[in-house]
Amino acid sequence: MAETKTFRAGVFSVVKHCYLPRAVAAHPRFELVVVTDDADQPDWVHERNQKFADEFGIPYVRDVAKAIAEYDLDMAAVSPEAERHCDLAVRAADAGLHVIADKPMSTRLSECDRLVEAGQRNDVKFLLWNRNYLPAVVQTKEAIDSGAIGELQAIHVDFYFSKNAGPPKGSHAEGDPPINWLDRQMEAHADGSDGGVGKEAMGELEIEGIYPLGYIHMLTGQNVQRVFARTATHFHQANVDNDVDDLATVSLELGGGVVGSLCIGRIGAASHPDIGEIKIHVIGSEGGLVITEARPEVSIYYRDQPPLEFKNERIANENDFLLMDDFARALDTGSEPILNAKAGRDIAATVFAAVESGKTGQPVEVDC
Amino acid sequence: MIRLALISSAETAQAYGALSTRLRRAAWTAFAPLDSGGSGQALGQVTEATSAEELFTNQADVFDAVVIAADQASAGRLAKAASSLGKPVLAGAAGSNLTALGQADTLLMPAHPWRFLPSIQSVKRSLDAGKLGQAGLLRIHRWLPPGADVESQAERILPDADLACWLFGSAPESVWSLQSAANPGYIQFHLGFANDGMAMIDIAASLPSGGDYFSLTMIGGTGAAYADDHHNMNLLYSGGQPNAIRTSQGRADLGGQLQEFVDAISEQREPSVTPTDTATAVAVVEHILESADNRQVIGGKEGN
Repeated sequence: MAETKTFRAGVFSVVKHCYLPRAVAAHPRFELVVVTDDADQPDWVHERNQKFADEFGIPYVRDVAKAIAEYDLDMAAVSPEAERHCDLAVRAADAGLHVIADKPMSTRLSECDRLVEAGQRNDVKFLLWNRNYLPAVVQTKEAIDSGAIGELQAIHVDFYFSKNAGPPKGSHAEGDPPINWLDRQMEAHADGSDGGVGKEAMGELEIEGIYPLGYIHMLTGQNVQRVFARTATHFHQANVDNDVDDLATVSLELGGGVVGSLCIGRIGAASHPDIGEIKIHVIGSEGGLVITEARPEVSIYYRDQPPLEFKNERIANENDFLLMDDFARALDTGSEPILNAKAGRDIAATVFAAVESGKTGQPVEVDC
Repeated sequence: MIRLALISSAETAQAYGALSTRLRRAAWTAFAPLDSGGSGQALGQVTEATSAEELFTNQADVFDAVVIAADQASAGRLAKAASSLGKPVLAGAAGSNLTALGQADTLLMPAHPWRFLPSIQSVKRSLDAGKLGQAGLLRIHRWLPPGADVESQAERILPDADLACWLFGSAPESVWSLQSAANPGYIQFHLGFANDGMAMIDIAASLPSGGDYFSLTMIGGTGAAYADDHHNMNLLYSGGQPNAIRTSQGRADLGGQLQEFVDAISEQREPSVTPTDTATAVAVVEHILESADNRQVIGGKEGN
């Protein structure tokens, strides 16, 4: 059997729900060797980093440069607050490390550009975390690639997460202070709904838009060129107080004459029995595809079931493993990961254009 | 008992005839064919005129109200003739030529059968009961085989434009549409309503022959409703890959609409669908097509 290299990974901050470094640790081609972050981070960041390091029995080094210098790393698993994603990723790339980063890529397009440039300059691989290897998404791609529906003409993704996000809209009494975004995200850590962790408030488009737009990017092979969006705060007081959307609709014009749309929202736990209604609709010249992204799943109901427990469970979900497989292949062969820095940057550009369109009420050209 | 006349094709008469036993406070008493030789036999023992004109001229005393299932041009002309006789009218293929009759004293109910589908009724009831909270997002995917139903794109998109206005309770403030250069039977439109309501609708008339697909999602502030053909598919195994077969909603749409017409006459009230509703939907359709042609946002406001 051929000898294969095991890649040494440093965890560059792990303040969110930690699926990303856990996926790295779970894959046999990778091993976590250190957790690191900047010394000047607040206590809660250090506490979360330390907790993760303790769980995996690896050191926590409060000095990123020192961790890079001393732990012979091949790659960095970057998962800090969203506004620090690119900075840590660029520093890793500049040290010659390959990078896997959590979504969203950044809260600023200029930061995404800086990361793309750093990756090219240092000739390192970058993978933006995504869900493109979910079984139903893979099935969609196979069906399209097989020519079963002919030439792709239109694509629509519905992406409604049925998670709560703190107090519902309208629940504030007069005189109550606005909800602090970071405080709310830290509170949400307990149930894993802290996808928008960071000081800068982000709407659902910014937090989760990467996933459906990642599907669209992969399935069409095209960039979005122009968007028209409507955005609203419909469900959650934290979003109202921080003036960020929790419901959005985006019309999409892509390259190759493909059109499409994205509907996205954090619609609340009461609005769906599972994680949410997530569907892909594709129209081709010879037919159409209707895909439920959550399938396959198993329904489980029982007496005294907690009301927030999903009654349908995803099964056969190998997305995390396959993403790591994909990244290992990229490192072995020089191939591009399934969602590289340029694609991630272009998706971020689409998100920012949609946010702008939602504010102006006019179509916006995407900076791709 | 309200005596009903039907002006339709023989095929439509079959559908209405099947509803006879479910109809309360009304019965079919007359029939006039749209096509020569068409028979209203399916309606039971009724007076059969040779044409709509003959029905109106010679048989006007055998019916109290008229149901017209015709194309847009004929429906407007026949509805006008029936109204002039003082007969309440339920007219199908409603369009702009029918809305002009809405000012008449006689009851005129445009046929919007899509509103009476059991699935749509269920969504509307949930919304009206406050279960879903304030309407936030309406998402519709409607895919049809080519030439399955109507003659023009305007007619094709009218039902969904109407559903959006009906479910949000008003016309949209802004309209943005996209078409596919490769598929003339495709359009998607993006509507913005008051209170941050939004609708995103795609309609394709390019499916291979054999079946259609409809999915409607209404997301409100406190709940959501999913009326989705995908959820209602069963499987047929007959060799090779299994086929999906949709469970039918029957013709409850026709039955519900007809009963509403009869009840509105009986109770001397306005029907739940009025020419104003049709006029609103027709105007929205015009904006949708205008936006698609001009690539401009129609209406709209500074931000949303």
